Amino acid sequence: MSSIGKSGKTGLIFFPAFDWAISPTHPEREERLLYTRDQIFEEGLMDLPAIEEYKPRLAELKDVARTHFCVPDVESQVTEAHLIAAGSTLTLADALEKGEIRNGFALVRPPGHHSMRVVHGNRGFCNINNMAILVDYLRTKYGHKRIAVIDTDVHHGDGTQEIFWHDPDVLCLSFHQDGHTLYPGSGFVNEMGGPQALARTLNVPLPPGTTDEGIHYVLDNLILPILDEFKPDLVLNSAGQDNHYTDPLANMRFSANGYARLNEKLAPDICVLEGGYAVETALPYVNTGIIQAMAGLDYSHVKEPDFVPGRFLQTDQMKREIETTVSQVQKIWDERDELVKDALAGAGDFYRRKKRVFYDTDMINESQEEVVRLCPHCAGYMTISTQAQRGYGILNSAFCVSIPRGACSSCREDAKEEYEEHVDDRRIGYVLMQDKDRDRFKFHNNMTHTQRGY
Amino acid sequence: MLIGIDVGGTTTDAVLVDGSQVVKTAYVPTDHDNLLNCLLGALDELVVGFDVRKIERVVLSTTLITNMIAEGKTDPVALVLIPGPGTNPKDYNLGESYILDGAIDYRGREIDKLNESQIKDVASKISAKHLSRVAVVGKFCQRNHAHENRVGEIMAVALPGAKIELGHKVSGQLNFPRRAATTLLTVATKDQYKEFAGAMTAALRQRKISAPVYILKADGGTLPLDKSIEMPVETIFSGTAASIMGVLALTPAGQTSVVVDIGGTTTDLALILSGKPLLSSKGAKVESLLTHVRAFAVKSVAIGGDSVVNVATDCVTVGPQRNGPALCMGGSGPTPTDAMRVLGMTTIGDAAKAEKAMQDVAGKLHCMPKEAAQKVVDFVVEKIVSEVEEMFCEWEQEPAYRIWEIVKKEKLQAQNVVGVGGGAPPLVPLVAARLGATANVPKYAPVANAIGAAVARPTLTLNLHIDTERGEYIVAEEGLTGKVTDRKMTPEQAEKMAKKLLAERAERLGIGEYAGEAEQTYSEVFNMIRGWSTVGRLLDVRMEIPAGLLASWRRC
Repeated sequence: MSSIGKSGKTGLIFFPAFDWAISPTHPEREERLLYTRDQIFEEGLMDLPAIEEYKPRLAELKDVARTHFCVPDVESQVTEAHLIAAGSTLTLADALEKGEIRNGFALVRPPGHHSMRVVHGNRGFCNINNMAILVDYLRTKYGHKRIAVIDTDVHHGDGTQEIFWHDPDVLCLSFHQDGHTLYPGSGFVNEMGGPQALARTLNVPLPPGTTDEGIHYVLDNLILPILDEFKPDLVLNSAGQDNHYTDPLANMRFSANGYARLNEKLAPDICVLEGGYAVETALPYVNTGIIQAMAGLDYSHVKEPDFVPGRFLQTDQMKREIETTVSQVQKIWDERDELVKDALAGAGDFYRRKKRVFYDTDMINESQEEVVRLCPHCAGYMTISTQAQRGYGILNSAFCVSIPRGACSSCREDAKEEYEEHVDDRRIGYVLMQDKDRDRFKFHNNMTHTQRGY
Repeated sequence: MLIGIDVGGTTTDAVLVDGSQVVKTAYVPTDHDNLLNCLLGALDELVVGFDVRKIERVVLSTTLITNMIAEGKTDPVALVLIPGPGTNPKDYNLGESYILDGAIDYRGREIDKLNESQIKDVASKISAKHLSRVAVVGKFCQRNHAHENRVGEIMAVALPGAKIELGHKVSGQLNFPRRAATTLLTVATKDQYKEFAGAMTAALRQRKISAPVYILKADGGTLPLDKSIEMPVETIFSGTAASIMGVLALTPAGQTSVVVDIGGTTTDLALILSGKPLLSSKGAKVESLLTHVRAFAVKSVAIGGDSVVNVATDCVTVGPQRNGPALCMGGSGPTPTDAMRVLGMTTIGDAAKAEKAMQDVAGKLHCMPKEAAQKVVDFVVEKIVSEVEEMFCEWEQEPAYRIWEIVKKEKLQAQNVVGVGGGAPPLVPLVAARLGATANVPKYAPVANAIGAAVARPTLTLNLHIDTERGEYIVAEEGLTGKVTDRKMTPEQAEKMAKKLLAERAERLGIGEYAGEAEQTYSEVFNMIRGWSTVGRLLDVRMEIPAGLLASWRRC
């Protein structure tokens, strides 16, 4: 269910982390939400009866461990700013579940959607994935089964996609500027999830220069109909703002009004800010528009100083390109059940994939081998063996085991066995166990032979 | 000798303070239709037998503005807005307003030009409505006054003799609708307030009182009467501020106290945190309008000595309605006052009638009258305690925008529960016991408000905004702007500058001798990075003389 038709206030958490930056001149710096602060405070938005401002809280380390394998441990990968950004989404989740609000917007930094399941450092400005932590929290604490994550950032939400790759109950749909032309270089139509969850990952790469018209075409003709069929308990928006026509790191032509209208139509239950680096020309206006749209207020007065309707026109070629992509993705979605059936028919007992992950911010190269049991009784346990290198030196290596929610006894036993086998194996630095079914997490250090739990 | 006079709901209280001694108290009934007479009546009674030449200072706390607004007696104003892009001004519920083209952005840059003929049109519409007071407020006009100034000029020509108030002169803080409301109320009350101030000054002169006269503001600070005519709305809710300042004066320094003012219909709660009265985070709410007026955070709970006692099945509830006085005081139904009478917590009223009131309640509850009375009192205490706890909780939950604010915010517990107001003495010990705090009903509790007025010192706030890329500084409070040349100005330099500007402002307001008390309560600095280099800095400093007591007052 999206928030359409629900009554009540819009919960807002504004956490600009005015005392946190990746580095002084990095786009992800203190100044990023300064002008947004000035705009939304000057607008008096927090005083409006339709809006309720909440104070952020720190997420617990356990909330992070539920989603991520942080190597060597959660504390080494997060700062307080990360915990507050993630915790803000959880505060809104609680308010939503208690019925205090009808929807919520975590206007927070640092962002998260490039963080994958295993975390060795910062990639794409992200350390931990706020959205994925929110999804896991909502499912563990409130028992939600089906959740749709719509990633509206200009960059492919590769982290969120990777985390829910095998999960048929989390629909990860990302539209973004074509990966041939932009970081992280992924998010093509043929990336569509693991064998058990095919077509629950959907990617809509868009040509550079896509306008309001193009994005709303995707929304009206693809995203909204798919949501109608998927029938999620909750719709979440990874709300990046870098599709804006002034964003310095991307090349799209989306407007503040376009963003507001998108959120009005999508009616997400919770929005989480991701990227967006036009700190003066876009963010103050886009954020104002999104807040108003979520709160059911009139956003027609929000306008960038240099914007005139009709300023950006979509070429016929662009139109054709977008229509073709949409029909391809539509076809994948329509054939989802056959895709899964076919994939599982020839798959055997285990699914394996090897991956290399590059952490651009921290200059780390990671290689992974992921193995998932294709279990007929449950989602199947997963193991990941990971090695990270920085320059020529080995940074860390770990063996990770994940027991899914609702694990069958055989998967649980085998997962435990895998864990025991790797404990104290001197070739591996750390052995991590994520028991999502019992919500318990342990990290074993093979060098010091010590263990800790979350 | 210091004089404090506070106009209350029923009585106007006055005290004469010498050093740390309350020398004399006096009171007269409040006549809401003639506040000047009440104030002078109380003053005259107070100074009988004293040499008026020994009076060093007179502080007045009046309900003039509060009443004027509550009774709808303010003057009509034309509200002219320059909202620019953003929220539809209709969503602000500011009432009827005239909307102008033109826009300034968050950095103070013009992003849309004024339309002069449109301004003239609006002026003629205002003239056609025979309005002679105009409030002109633009979004972000505190960061660039050009639009408001220009509109003001055109209006002044088109509407000869009209009183025109510009938003940036009233408040420079972020929040356009609050600035609009504050400006609106300022124009709407200024003339009547000025009249009152003039009459007061004349009356004092007649009495040969030459001591400086101050007015108490909602933030517990004093301001010379003649300067206060520029900011009449600041004097709203001064009665509450007076009580809180009184409690501050009558309790040990630096402690955390809950101020409980229990009346007939409502109980007002306020917090003093580590010796500092808690201010409402963004500004006072005046009737339906949210303003920028700095005021103490006060929570009004609909429960008091005369609240109605209801019995439903086996459960007692009290309030929120009041149906006249307690039965023991000649009223009609059972109230908490009757319950307290039955339990011997108070001696006011008729014991037999109180007993009868509780017998009714006891009958429905199938218990003894004393038991019933206990249940009533327990409910009242529990209600007050839970509201106090919620206040602390709300304070802890106030939004924060920096990591350290979220990580470091301390937890405070009440050390004292201080009672003022008629209903306080019997109930305060019970509330204090539940909160694990010390009960305190000061000897001078009935005139705490007047004492608070007498010994409160001036307050002053100055918000300085510096944009070194644009080479400008702006003082939010008075629309003062100037140039800065140092692109790399440091927060320390900004602080020094703010201190100097505050001293100048204090001098202008006639409270220069208190400038040394100013402390920096907020500071932020942002490097502006464009490309890979720093092009300037944005600095914000808030310098404050916080609410406090005169140095001559040493607490008991």
